[in-house]
Amino acid sequence: MSLKQHHIQLEKGDVGRYVLLPGDPGRCEVIAKHLDNAVHVITNREYVTYTGYLDGVKVSVTSTGIGCPSAAIAVEELVRVGADTFIRVGTSGGIQPGTKSGDLAIVSAAIRDEGTSSHYMPMEFPAIADLEIVSALRRAAQIKGVRYRVGITQSKDSFYGEVEPERSAVSEKLLDRWRAWEIGGAICSEMEASAIFIIASMLNVRAGGIMAMHGEGEFGSLEPLIETAIVGVRELIKGDADARR
Amino acid sequence: MQMQGDNGKQYHVQLEKGDVGKYVLLPGDPGRCEPISRLFDEPRLVASNREYTTYTGYLDGVKVSVTSTGIGCPSAAIALEELVMVGADTFIRVGTSGHIQKDIKSGDLAIISAAIRDEGTSLHYMPIEFPAIADIDLVLALQKAAKKTGARHRTGISQSKDSFYGQHEPERMGVAQNLLNRWKAWEIGGALCSEMEASAIFVIASMLRVRAAGIMMVHATEPMPPLDILLETAVQGLREIIAEDKANGRAVN
Repeated sequence: MSLKQHHIQLEKGDVGRYVLLPGDPGRCEVIAKHLDNAVHVITNREYVTYTGYLDGVKVSVTSTGIGCPSAAIAVEELVRVGADTFIRVGTSGGIQPGTKSGDLAIVSAAIRDEGTSSHYMPMEFPAIADLEIVSALRRAAQIKGVRYRVGITQSKDSFYGEVEPERSAVSEKLLDRWRAWEIGGAICSEMEASAIFIIASMLNVRAGGIMAMHGEGEFGSLEPLIETAIVGVRELIKGDADARR
Repeated sequence: MQMQGDNGKQYHVQLEKGDVGKYVLLPGDPGRCEPISRLFDEPRLVASNREYTTYTGYLDGVKVSVTSTGIGCPSAAIALEELVMVGADTFIRVGTSGHIQKDIKSGDLAIISAAIRDEGTSLHYMPIEFPAIADIDLVLALQKAAKKTGARHRTGISQSKDSFYGQHEPERMGVAQNLLNRWKAWEIGGALCSEMEASAIFVIASMLRVRAAGIMMVHATEPMPPLDILLETAVQGLREIIAEDKANGRAVN
């Protein structure tokens, strides 16, 4: 019998405890170039995994696909093969006025505007990121000197419901709720964070997220996002080593 | 509508601009305000109306206050709204709570980073999917404070509920099975403790762009120790955030 997890096709030893989680399988290779001695471990469905090293510590990249249903599977199965620290890295839409394209959002919590996390916890339970990860990503953004905000993301189930709400039969509701998220101070909108955070709380592992936002102006390269995420992982590795001492 | 009386004071807390500092501790119990105020320099009673008692004093030369919220999110929401109107922008809820995780001991401190919205008030502000989270800088300041006072502490999620007896005697209730199931969910989810005000305070603070966090002494199976270490840690937390704000050039008065 195979010891590999059903969907991600990974087994113990294949990944490090630190895993970056892009949505897009095509982004795994780009991110893996920032790791030392990265190797492509496996590809199955939307799940692509590379493993390499940062500062001598094993670090992996696994894509989640779009949406909380496939992201939940990725996190569950990655925990089963030994990962315990997750940073979602990807793109998002800016919510607050004044957001410039390429500004980074360090996600501290998520609006549960999706169906998956309700299979895990009642809706009243907050989807929050791990504090150490948020702090590490904030230090990383300061080190890299990039424009960033720390705050709440909306995790939604429908991309076109956000970008073309007027087409939807529930358009009034979508528009009202979008206004609520803006009033509440949410900084960006994407499609995976809330389920990742809820499941991480339940499984007692750490999760956070860093997203490049679309806003005013042209959206440029994702390199600053990826470099900041990588520095964030280095900061976490350093912090974890200090905590052990 | 500005809910002010003829005297220019906020309707319920009976405070006006200048009466409180930017930094406010929020106990539930009005009787706890006076003991907390003794940890300030030059404390004075500013107002006492209904369950809202306010003392103002100084810490490291910066004006700070303590205002009681009463029990429950309905009265806590009013306190927060009116305190923001008179100039406060940094809030630390301080109080007692019941344990959810079974390995917590009576007297351990819970630094609250987020809250379960198991109450009715915050729904008048934001849809339920919106997370009730604390301000990260305040949480870090409280962690620093707890290290300095040597208090045993953890950081995590609180359940904010509307019914004290629904938690303590769920089997009596018409919705017993629902209460018991949900309590199990909070335990599985890793929530640390249960209290009755944090979630509305956090959601409203997000909306008003002010900072809020909480620190609770947890009641487990053993008798509760005195609250001194809780109050000292909360006050030290204020000192830490004040020092940081000064270092970052943020106005503290």
